[in-house]
Amino acid sequence: MLMQPTLLTCCFPEKIRRGICSCIVTCGSDGDVRIWENLDDDDPKSINVGEKAYSFALKNGRLVTAVSNNTVQIHTFPEGAPDGILTRFTTNANHVVFNRDGTKIAAGSSDFMVKVVEVTDSSQQKTFRGHDAPVLSLSFDPQDVFLTSASCDGSVRVWKISDQTCVTSWPLLQKCNDVINAKSICRFAWQPKSGKLLAVPVEKVVKLYRRETWDNQFDLSDNFITQTLSIVTWSPCGQYVAAGSVDGCIAVWNVDTQECMERMKHEKSYTICGLAWHPKGGQIAYTDTEGNLGLLENVCNKDGKKSSGKVSSAVAKDYNDLFDEDDDFLNTDLIEPRSSPKVVSNEEDDDDDDLMLASGHPRHRGAIIEDDENSLDTALMKVNSNLEKDDDNDQDGSIPVLPVSTTQRPFYDGPMPTPQQKPFQSGSTPSHLTHRFMVWNSIGIIRCYNDEQDNAIDVEFHDTSIHHATHLPNSLNHTMADLSSEAILLACESTEELASKLHCVHFSSWDSNKEWTVDMPKDEDIEAICLGQGWAACATSAMLTRVFTIGGVQKEIFSLPGPVVSMAGHGEQLLVIYHRGTGFDGDQCLGVQLIELGKKKRQVLHGDPLPLTKKSYLMWVGFSAEGTPCYVDSEGIVKMLNRGLGNTWIPVCDTREYCKGKSDHYWVIGIHEKPQQLRCIPCKGARFPPTLPRPAVAILSFKLPYCQITTEKGQMEEQFWRSVVFHNHLDYLSKNGYEYDENAKNEAAKEQQELLMKLFALSCKLEREFRCVELADFMTQNAVSLAIKYASRSRKLILAQRLSEMAVEKATEMAAPEEDEEEEEEDFRNHLNAGYSNSTTEWSQPRVRNLHEQDMEDSKEADAVEEVEEMPEMQKFRQNPFCKTVGLPEMSAPKSAVITTSSQGRVNPFKVSANQKDPTAHSANILDNMSKFSKNTPTPNSRAVNKQKSPVIKPLIPKPKSKQALAATFFQPRPPHAGDKTVEEKEEKAENILPEIQAAVTENTENKRPKTGFQMWLEENRESILADNPDLEEADIIKEGMSRFRVLSSDERMVWTEKAKGVAASNSAEAKKRKRPADAKNEGKEKREEKSKEDSSLPKKRKPLDPSINVRLSAFAFKQS
Amino acid sequence: MDPAEAEFLAEKELVTVIPNFSLDRIYLIGGDLGPFNPGLPVEVPLWLAVNLKQRQKCRLIPPEWMDAEKLEEIRDQERKEDTFTPMPSPYYMELTKLLLNYASDSIPKADEIRTLVKDTWDTRIAKLRLSADSFVRQQEAHAKLDNLTLMEINTTGTFLTQALDHMYKLRTNLQPAESAQSQDF
Repeated sequence: MLMQPTLLTCCFPEKIRRGICSCIVTCGSDGDVRIWENLDDDDPKSINVGEKAYSFALKNGRLVTAVSNNTVQIHTFPEGAPDGILTRFTTNANHVVFNRDGTKIAAGSSDFMVKVVEVTDSSQQKTFRGHDAPVLSLSFDPQDVFLTSASCDGSVRVWKISDQTCVTSWPLLQKCNDVINAKSICRFAWQPKSGKLLAVPVEKVVKLYRRETWDNQFDLSDNFITQTLSIVTWSPCGQYVAAGSVDGCIAVWNVDTQECMERMKHEKSYTICGLAWHPKGGQIAYTDTEGNLGLLENVCNKDGKKSSGKVSSAVAKDYNDLFDEDDDFLNTDLIEPRSSPKVVSNEEDDDDDDLMLASGHPRHRGAIIEDDENSLDTALMKVNSNLEKDDDNDQDGSIPVLPVSTTQRPFYDGPMPTPQQKPFQSGSTPSHLTHRFMVWNSIGIIRCYNDEQDNAIDVEFHDTSIHHATHLPNSLNHTMADLSSEAILLACESTEELASKLHCVHFSSWDSNKEWTVDMPKDEDIEAICLGQGWAACATSAMLTRVFTIGGVQKEIFSLPGPVVSMAGHGEQLLVIYHRGTGFDGDQCLGVQLIELGKKKRQVLHGDPLPLTKKSYLMWVGFSAEGTPCYVDSEGIVKMLNRGLGNTWIPVCDTREYCKGKSDHYWVIGIHEKPQQLRCIPCKGARFPPTLPRPAVAILSFKLPYCQITTEKGQMEEQFWRSVVFHNHLDYLSKNGYEYDENAKNEAAKEQQELLMKLFALSCKLEREFRCVELADFMTQNAVSLAIKYASRSRKLILAQRLSEMAVEKATEMAAPEEDEEEEEEDFRNHLNAGYSNSTTEWSQPRVRNLHEQDMEDSKEADAVEEVEEMPEMQKFRQNPFCKTVGLPEMSAPKSAVITTSSQGRVNPFKVSANQKDPTAHSANILDNMSKFSKNTPTPNSRAVNKQKSPVIKPLIPKPKSKQALAATFFQPRPPHAGDKTVEEKEEKAENILPEIQAAVTENTENKRPKTGFQMWLEENRESILADNPDLEEADIIKEGMSRFRVLSSDERMVWTEKAKGVAASNSAEAKKRKRPADAKNEGKEKREEKSKEDSSLPKKRKPLDPSINVRLSAFAFKQS
Repeated sequence: MDPAEAEFLAEKELVTVIPNFSLDRIYLIGGDLGPFNPGLPVEVPLWLAVNLKQRQKCRLIPPEWMDAEKLEEIRDQERKEDTFTPMPSPYYMELTKLLLNYASDSIPKADEIRTLVKDTWDTRIAKLRLSADSFVRQQEAHAKLDNLTLMEINTTGTFLTQALDHMYKLRTNLQPAESAQSQDF
């Protein structure tokens, strides 16, 4: 059967994949078109075009096939998508061919008709009638004037295409009744380019006819040919003619010399039914009726004449394997020869470089394309494309035969540069679509319709209260858009007549002129645009960024360091992403600039590299609703600027994790930090959504890629850091003077502390005490004290101690900035501080008194802080230096206090001598806050809280007490146990014991209330009095003291009185401060309680000096318990 | 119970809408709703969805099952099976009716969906009648029908029980009626 089971053409410049340009396309009668990358390709790409294919042609990415449903149809190539039907016949078409430029096809059918159809417009058809039998084959004149056709009626006709008349007709073939019975399929061919000659295979010769005269110029024949020739094809250079016969002979002639240059015999003698030259020449691919594909190499090299004989025979030999198989299916056949060319190529490896030079070498014969010779392939590719161009442009018939020289083109094996990604607008779909989103952001949606009926832009707002939906004509063909709550910004690229324009619809303007347009300078195209608050910006091809006010005033211009990729605006911030350079191996090399255009006008990110996932490109860039820059890459990783860590980028979400299918994607449209939402559109099997049906928005949650997210610890760590990262914007806002929600900040802090406490508790449970300390380091002071409580309650005393040390350090750190501020104010103090640190208190004390008496309270607090700061170092190296400076020799009492509390580690040596109530205030504050905190956060340590609150503490008394003491004592020396107990007891049962306390502390109150110089003096000197007269009663001590005080000089007494005044003032201030707004009923009591507490705190320090009180209190305490 | 009541119950079903306004969470007796963010889907009860839609305050996202292909499958399944197949929603009829009446512009292929749901409904009602018929014919004491929706029960429930009542009366009154007649004469 002569009907073509396999047809063939070869080598497509359209092939896009890098490195493979030389491919062979075959079509079998089984309806499969296969694309072979080379002859060893054992998995060719296959396109099914129909049940049965009769003929096919390929040009300009269009694959035209004649198939069994009597149609001639188009498929795209290499995708293979159906692209419509060109024409129909009453029976199947036998042959389809393209004209030279691929604009027309000719098809000849078994219904005796020939049609010429415009590829782009199938309504433009020309029909050629005249044959009396099925049409066998067709051929276009390269000059598009004539068309030849052969038919089973034995005639070969030449038609004039323009008027469809028959110019000439030769009775050359044997008559038959159908294509199947035809001896020859008569694939004649015109000489390429000039079309001077028409080669027709007739019997055993190739007849060449001259154009216009239509006389037989000469015949090409050879003794080698013993059977009818059925196929003729010209080499692309027009110099050679190859012909295939029905018994498997292929011969090549030089047309000029009429000399037969190559002869080859198909081993199995199958009928050759397809022949195709490689566009650069030198190779002929052929197919036979059994479905085998073969390739002749090095055919008709200029200097290869000598070798031709050997070549053909060698080829035949080489193909032994290939054609051994009887199977008539291409695939199976082509598995076999894989081994044979390998051998060949191995042999040739050495002299590969001098391939051309050794072309006369016997081994240098028609080999199958070597699969391991990349160099050859690439060379082919390049040659190929050149040649195709030549083919199209040169009409003079010059012969661009290019010897393949592998040495001239060394193959570059290093990393390949990545094509730079094109500029894009975030939230837009590709601009080639007829219906597309120009932008979809958190304000609204801009859609663009660009089809036959309409070229328009639809703007729709999510919130209709911003503006109503609008419809704009798109006569300028805008391709870029951005939308804010103030304006719509559109931009178009330049055309031949019109400059690139920026068009702004400022709908929130209060005047009647809502629109403005700006033309870019000549040759400057807008490539990206964005809107901020009160401004618009565009980046152009001149690598400039132009900023405009929203009303259209031109503002800043600045140069970009590279071609822009995308830009985004929010508030005063402008984010520009550009190409920093060339990326390699699929990576992009992007840089980012973040500029604040507000009053500050500063650059936050100075062209830093933008970290993209490997082999990905940028997909979306913008700001979160709160104003943090974010971007998404093509791998679906969302990254956010972490302002808390030196403006680094932190991955906050992997959208691919949420995808079900491999080709599903999420198209990001917006990011919100509060609540944490990643708004995006799920796209099934695509990267972007279609406009219809209207896509629905989905919300994804963020997840930082922390390790061991399945464990409780990992989860909480992730939550904690996520909370930290997603509340960075609050700091940013407050720093930049924006309004922000104070509550949100507090809530965030609370949430974070809660998580830390949970983590702390977890680590405690796991006996990871070091980790506990590390965690506590993240905590605020309140949480630390809570942690201390927790630790001491879970009997981790070392931990508790370490924590309290840390708390002190923390307090010191916190004090540092305060002090800095003060330092700015008070220079002289600063100087003194630097050289002589322990003098701080000396200086500050009088300063406070003299200068700031009105806000005594604040300064006192500051002092306390300073004291605390000094404390750790001083207590180590100095023996109460303050006391010394004040000039009190009796240090034994304070020291003893220090010693008793030394288990605590840190003590404030000043406590005794100076403002005692400050530490008290501190500890009280802490306690207050703790209780507040624990009330706020019931969950994390409800145990601790409950215990603390519950009245049934009795059996636990020692523990909470020690704990509270711990909590309280890191700013003050711990009082002796008895007193401590008493105080605690008192606190717990204040109500009941009020009278007693009053009784107990009356004298103290008297002592203290209007504290006189004498009393202070007495305090200091009680010890010495006692030492002198150890058996004195309290009243006697006072008497004795009185007499001693009188003995002092008046100056000394004045000093004491002065001192007493200062203390009294601060005391009263303190009392005022601590007065809580309690309900009226309890107020009085409470006040007294406060007083008593204060009193007791004072005695605390004096306790060793005041045994009677001590004894009474402790006695009471024990009675109570 | 009449159909209006069934519809009223159906109005509690949650549907997804995309509001075009911004509103904080609202606290109602039936539960909290919102917050409403323009452009973001939010679940609200049907009554609110219809109300918002009527005031042009939202776009409606049809329930997942309200899709021509899925409904076609359901209809075919319903026709194939002799028993009742489970419906995608216990209020499918009411939802379809309300949504298509008030928000047909947000539902693709609204007409097709209306037809498909009606087909399914008809099939089911026919089955219901058939089973009622065989129930009466075979004089069964009880019968069990699975996967019926409230609306469907309502369409025949009243009628069937009343009819059974009447039949019972007729049967039991056969004797007394005769005696009554005799009394008359």
